[in-house]
Amino acid sequence: MTRVTLTPADILRWALILAALAVTLFPFYWMVNTSLKPGPEVFQSPPTFFSANWSFDAYRVVFETRPIGRYLLNSLIVSVGATALSVVLSALAAYGFTRFFVRGAAAFVLFLLFTKMLPETLLIIPYFQIMASLGLVDTYLALILAYSSFALPFSVWMLIGFFRTIPRDIDEAAIIDGASRLQTFFKVILPLARPGLVAVALFTFIIAWNSYVWALVLTTDANMFVVSVGIANLVGEYRVQWNELMAASVIAALPVMILYGFLNRHLVSAITAGAVKA
Amino acid sequence: MTVVSDSLSRPALPQRRRGQATRPGLESERWHGYLFIAPAFIFLCAVIVVPLVKAFWTSLERTRGLNTIFVGFDNYARVLESEAFWNSLRVSLSFTALCVAMHVAIGLGLAMLLNRVVHARAVLRVAFLTPWMVAPAIGSTVWLWLLEPQFGVVNYLFSAVGLIDSYKAWLGEPSLAFGSIVAVDVWRGVPFVMLLLLAGLQTIPVEQYEAAGIDGASPLQQFRYITLPNLKYFIVVASTLDIINTIRMFDIIAVMTGGGPIGATEVLPALLYNTAFRANHFGEAAAIGVLLLILVLAFSVLYVGLTRTHAQEGSR
Amino acid sequence: MKSTRSTLLSGIAGGLALMGAAGATAQTADKPIVLQWQTANLTEKQFEPVWKEMVAAFEAANPGIKIEPVLVARKDHWTKFVTASQARRAPCLVSVDLTTAAYNGYLMALDSYWNAEPEAWRKAWSDEVMKAARWQGKLYGVPIWGGIYAEIYNKDLVTAAGLDPAKPPVSWADYMTWAKALTKDGQWATAILGGKTDTTTRVLLTWIYSNGGEVFNADMTEATFAKNPKSLEAIKAYLGMAKDGFAAPAPTTTNYLEQTVMFAQNKIATMRNANWAIAKAEEDNPALKGKLIVAPAPHQIPNAPTLKTMTSTSIAADCPNPEAAWKFIKFEADAKWSIKRAKVANWMPIRSDLANEPEIKSDPMLLTFLKIGENAKPYPLPLPIWADIAAGDIVDAVQKALLAPDTVETVFKDLDAKINRKLKDQ
Repeated sequence: MTRVTLTPADILRWALILAALAVTLFPFYWMVNTSLKPGPEVFQSPPTFFSANWSFDAYRVVFETRPIGRYLLNSLIVSVGATALSVVLSALAAYGFTRFFVRGAAAFVLFLLFTKMLPETLLIIPYFQIMASLGLVDTYLALILAYSSFALPFSVWMLIGFFRTIPRDIDEAAIIDGASRLQTFFKVILPLARPGLVAVALFTFIIAWNSYVWALVLTTDANMFVVSVGIANLVGEYRVQWNELMAASVIAALPVMILYGFLNRHLVSAITAGAVKA
Repeated sequence: MTVVSDSLSRPALPQRRRGQATRPGLESERWHGYLFIAPAFIFLCAVIVVPLVKAFWTSLERTRGLNTIFVGFDNYARVLESEAFWNSLRVSLSFTALCVAMHVAIGLGLAMLLNRVVHARAVLRVAFLTPWMVAPAIGSTVWLWLLEPQFGVVNYLFSAVGLIDSYKAWLGEPSLAFGSIVAVDVWRGVPFVMLLLLAGLQTIPVEQYEAAGIDGASPLQQFRYITLPNLKYFIVVASTLDIINTIRMFDIIAVMTGGGPIGATEVLPALLYNTAFRANHFGEAAAIGVLLLILVLAFSVLYVGLTRTHAQEGSR
Repeated sequence: MKSTRSTLLSGIAGGLALMGAAGATAQTADKPIVLQWQTANLTEKQFEPVWKEMVAAFEAANPGIKIEPVLVARKDHWTKFVTASQARRAPCLVSVDLTTAAYNGYLMALDSYWNAEPEAWRKAWSDEVMKAARWQGKLYGVPIWGGIYAEIYNKDLVTAAGLDPAKPPVSWADYMTWAKALTKDGQWATAILGGKTDTTTRVLLTWIYSNGGEVFNADMTEATFAKNPKSLEAIKAYLGMAKDGFAAPAPTTTNYLEQTVMFAQNKIATMRNANWAIAKAEEDNPALKGKLIVAPAPHQIPNAPTLKTMTSTSIAADCPNPEAAWKFIKFEADAKWSIKRAKVANWMPIRSDLANEPEIKSDPMLLTFLKIGENAKPYPLPLPIWADIAAGDIVDAVQKALLAPDTVETVFKDLDAKINRKLKDQ
C-alpha cells in the first residue's frame, strides 16, 4: 500500500471530475426519482428530491398495462440476431482486408463511410417497400437486416484495427501446418480477436436495442413490438404520466446498462487498440 | 436515429500499401480476399444501396401520395429556392459547429482530468459513458421533463441558486431552445469523444512530460507543446467523425422541439422529416436528403484526406 | 432490376431463415379475413376498454373476420400510415386526416357502399357532417366520433376570485374581466396554445369563429387570417392575453397536454378545450370532480359557431377486403358503441339521432357539450394541405406573434400569402 497524499492539484481535479459527473448523471437520477413518485407528487412544487412515499407502483402499472416482457423478448431476439449477423460479416471482411491484397480496398472503405452517413428518413420508405414486397413486414428478420447494416460499417473498421494487431506469421504458421484458410480464420484468428469481437458485438447490440424509427414502421402486430416502440405508445396526446413514462424508460435502458457494465473493458480496449494502431 | 452507433467511429482505415507491399500473401489465393469481403459488400448493397437508389429516383419525381410524375431536377430547384432550406442549413451548420467544438473541448478537458486519475478509473469511465449508452429518444424524453417550464427541476434548481430570476420556457424561445438542444447534444456527445481522446492521451510517453518538468515547463506550456501536438491526429479524426454524426442528428430534435419554435431548431434532418411526413412532399424531401448527403460527403472526403495524410506521415 | 434485388435479399433471407421463422409463423395460415385497424386513439388509455369490447363483439358477430388493432403513438400515426400506404400495404381500416389522405390517393371512395345502405340509416348523419367526409364529390369515410370545443372553468378558483360561477362570461369583455380577477401570484386565467401540434390551430379557430371570422374565403381558394378583419381582431384579442399577463408563461411550448396539466394542478382557472379534457383533468386531480363548469366560448356575435372535430373511419385504397371493412365501419357507427364511446372515453357522438337516448340525456355534461356543438364548424378543414399548415405554418405564425406581439398583423398577412402560395402549388 502506498500512502495517498492529496495535493491541491488533486483536490481541484477531483472537484472538477465530481462536478462533471454530477451533470452527467443528474438526468438519470431524476429519471429514477420521478419513476418512484406517486402520481400527484410528480407535479409538486418545489419538486421532491427523494419521495418519502416512494413505491414501485409506476413500474407495476407499466408491467400490467403493456406486455413489457414480450417487448423485451422481441428486442432481445432482434438485437442478438443483428449482433450475430454483423459480427460474422464484419469479421470476414476485416480478415479479407488485413490478410490479402484487395484492389479497391480504399474505395470499399469510402463506401463503408458513405453507408453510415445516410439520413435515415431518406431510406425508410424504400426499405419498407422492399421488405413489404418480400413479405418481411412484422418479422424479426426485417429489423435484424436493418440494424446490422447500421452497425456493419463501423464494426468492419474496428475489426480491421484489431486484426492488424494479430501478426500474420500466426496465419502462415497455421497454413504451413496444413490448415485451410477458413480453418485458420475460424480456429486460430477468431479466438485471438475475441476482445475485438466482443466489442463489436456490444456495439451492435446497443444500436439494435436503442433504435426506434425502423421498428416503428416495420412492425404492426403488437406481438412484434420491440421495447422502444412499446414504450413510445405509452405517450398519448391525451394522457402522459411522467412517473410511468420514466419507469418505462428505466426498464428500457437497464438491460443495455447492465450489459455494458460487464463488458465495458472490452469495448474500451477495442477502441483504444484500434485508435492507437490505426 | 442510430447516433449511438455512429459516434463510435474511429480511425481504422486499412493502409493496405504498408503491409501488403512487403507481404503480398500467397500468389495463388490472392482472390480469396474478395471472397471474405463479398458477404459484407453484397449485404450492404442490398440493404442500403438499393433503397438509396430508389430514394434518389424519388428526388426526381413530383409526388403527391401515390401519384408521381417525373420532373427531373425540379425538386432541387424548389428546395434551393425555399427560405426553409436555407434556414435549416444555417441551423444545421451552427448546431454542428457549436456541438462539435464543445464535444471536443469538454471531452479533452475531461480526458485530461481522468488521465491523471489512478483510483476508480474503470468506474468513472463507465459512469461518464452512460449518456451515450441510452437511446437518444429516451435521453431526450428525460430532458424534456427536466426542462418542463412549470414543473421541471431545471427551472427550480437554477432559480434556487439565482442563475435565473424567473422560470424560463427553455424550449419556447428560439435562442433558448437552440441553446437547450445544443446542451442536450453536448451531454450526449461528450462521453465518446472523451473516450477517444483518453485513448490518445495514453499514447503520449510519460517521459516527455517528465523531461519537460525538469526543464521547468509550466502545465500550460506542457499542454501547448506536448499534449496538443501528440493529440492532433486524434482530435482531427474525432471531430471530423463527430461532424458527420452531429449533422445527421434528429432524435433529440424530434422528441424535444420538432424543429420549432419558428424553425429555430429545424436542422436539415428535421426539415427532411417534416417535408416528407407533414407536407407529404416525398420528392422534395428526397432532394433535401440528397443535398444533406452531399454536405456530409464533403466532410467525409475531408476526413479520408486527413487520415491518408496521417497514414503517409506515419509510414515514413 | 426488381428481381435481382429480390434474389439478393432472399439469399440473405435464406441464411437467416431461422431468425425470421418465429416472426413469419405469426402471419401464415390465416383462414379468416384479417383486417388491420389503425387509429391514433387506440393507444389512449380511456378508449381501450371500449374498443376491446367492440372488437370482441364484432368478431363474435362475424366469425369470418378478425380485427387486428395497430397500436401507434399519436405523433407517429401519420408517418406509419403513409409508409405503409406507399408500399400499398396500409391497414384496411384507418382514421386519418381524410382530405389529405384522399387527395394523396390513399383512400377508397365509399359511395357505392354508402348508397347501398337504407336511407333511414344514412339519415342519422347530418348533411353538414357528411359534407366534411367528402372530397371532390366522393365519400371517403364515415364520421364516427367527434370533439366539441367549449370553455371549461375551475369552479373553486372562480369562486375564490369572487366571481359568480353561475354566470360565466358571455362576451370577450366579460371574459377579460374574469381573466383579470383570475390572475394572481402563481396562477393565470388561462393558457394560450402555441406548441407544435394542431391543437394550437384548433383553439385559434375557436376564437376566430367566436368573432364571426373566417380563415378562408367561401370557395377555399384564399386564406383570410389577416384579410378578414374579424379574424385578425380575434387573433389579436386572443394572443393579447399573453402580453397582458393573463395567460400562463411558455405558450410556445403549450399544447393540449401542458394545458390540461396546468389546469389540473390549479395553475390556470379556465381552458378552451374539448369534452375529453374533462376526464383527463378529473383523472389527474380527482379533487376537481364535480367542480368543473362548461360554457360556450365567449363570443362577439350571437349564436357564434364553435369547433367540432370529426374522426371518420375510412378504407385504404388497396384494401383487398373492402366488404368486410365496410361491415366493421357499420358496426362501429352503431348507436350502442357511439354511446359507449361517449360515456366511457368522452368521444362525442356525431350522429344526430342520439341526443334522445336515455343514457345521453341523463348525463348533464354530455348534454351541455352536445348543445354547444349544435352550431359548430367541422374540423379539420377540407384542404389537402390542411394537416401541413395546421401543424406547421399556422403554428409558426402563432409563435412569431407571441414572441413579438407588435408584429401580429404582418405575421398573419405573411401567413395568408404563404398559404395562398401553397394552395396554388397543389
